[in-house]
Amino acid sequence: MSAVASELAAPPASLVGRIGWHWKHNPKIELWIMWWAMVCFYQLFGVVFALMTRVMPPPAPWWDQARIVQWFNDNHYGLLWGFGIIFLVAGITASMNALIAYSMTRMSVSRAFSYIYVAIYSLATLPGMLLTAIFLTVGALRPDRDPAVISWLYDASFTAFVGTMGVFLIGTSVWMLAVLLDKNRVFPLWFAYLNICNLLTEIVVAPMWIFKEGPFAWNGIIAFWVDTLVFVVYTIAFITLLRRLIVREDFGDGPLPELEQRT
Amino acid sequence: MRKVDGEIILFWALPFFALMWIVIFFLFPGFSPPMSPTMSAEQVAAFYRDPENLPRIRYSMIMFNWFAVGIVTFLTLIVMQMKRMAHRTPILAYCYLGCSTGGPVLFFLADLFWLMAAFRPERDPQLTQLFNDLAWVTFTGQVGFMVAQCVFLALAIFLDRQAKPIFQRWVAHFNLIIAAAVAPAAFVATALTGPLAWDGLLSFWVRNSAIALWLVVMAIVIGKTLYKQRAEEVAAA
Repeated sequence: MSAVASELAAPPASLVGRIGWHWKHNPKIELWIMWWAMVCFYQLFGVVFALMTRVMPPPAPWWDQARIVQWFNDNHYGLLWGFGIIFLVAGITASMNALIAYSMTRMSVSRAFSYIYVAIYSLATLPGMLLTAIFLTVGALRPDRDPAVISWLYDASFTAFVGTMGVFLIGTSVWMLAVLLDKNRVFPLWFAYLNICNLLTEIVVAPMWIFKEGPFAWNGIIAFWVDTLVFVVYTIAFITLLRRLIVREDFGDGPLPELEQRT
Repeated sequence: MRKVDGEIILFWALPFFALMWIVIFFLFPGFSPPMSPTMSAEQVAAFYRDPENLPRIRYSMIMFNWFAVGIVTFLTLIVMQMKRMAHRTPILAYCYLGCSTGGPVLFFLADLFWLMAAFRPERDPQLTQLFNDLAWVTFTGQVGFMVAQCVFLALAIFLDRQAKPIFQRWVAHFNLIIAAAVAPAAFVATALTGPLAWDGLLSFWVRNSAIALWLVVMAIVIGKTLYKQRAEEVAAA
């Protein structure tokens, strides 16, 4: 463990050996753990929300009570076990928020930006994800519940899920502003503009609180499909850029070194 | 007055909070014994309408509303110790800070659901049962932040690679065991009877005992660390 860097052998070939080597010797291990936690969380999120609970893509806002009760019955076990997984791993969101906040700590901007991001996103998990999961879990809990009550839970879940806008609007804007102000070149400028695309989706989604069918309804072509597409592109972009940030990290406070070109 | 003296004052708020949490736990009639998830809507409504129960539900949950968030002061003292550790970045402290607001707000939400259920117990029993279900699922199932903060603290301790680490390694192992003990409660809604149900062995007794044990052990650890830190500051001055 106290070996000098020059004496270190290259990491072993086996996966377990490599992980052990990085755990002991990699000075960026705390950043890499958070990056991998973020990647694992998004995979798990996709599996639970799209495959297990069938919340994405969302079912229709115009269904009658009998159809809604049938939806809960069709997805009974998927909802209960799927959201059990989400309840268990919800705290991992803290690691991705911390990593994004750290990207701003590494910039030439005030620490205020990092603190705002940690504060906003530690509150975002509740309206953006957990409230939906709690409402749908309670809806699935008792299939014999009054259909009018189940229908209320259904509306409450999907409006909260699709219609939580402000936390992401302000959070994304703060990140964007930090990227624009940064002189350490932590992120390329085009990422600031991609942030604008993402925050615009939070504006465009607002009519879902008014329309129950058409492109702006919570399952509509604009409110759900276009916005989700933008979000997926945005997420893939920042996961890739955060990986590059860790690779480039020199633990200094000046401009972040560029990646060396591989020849 | 040293900076650490303020932290010691915050630390001594914890026994007061803990006393309040114990009072709340025994005052709330829904905990002793824990209400069964198999109760019908009429039984749940009758529980809230019972003149023996109703004032105790309201008073205990008003107290819970006041004091549940007190845990944030203690969690922040842990963040302060994490910032003293030999890490290269503040990222683990950011993680812990995120969890220390994420977790308590869910306790707070459960408290609101219980108070709402008790507000008009003469309402349609279906609605009283709805709020009672929301309260229990939120209170019991929302262990994600607790699990994560135990794991983050354990990671922080393992990565605190200096001659005199802030915490000893057993604190990391202890936190991982607590994380494993509270984890099954996340699946509280998958069963109305048995160990996973909200009145069951894993979801109620193991989970709540683990939280109580965690508080006692971590209070001793943090208290000792703070006084050691103070002695070092006095010696250095």
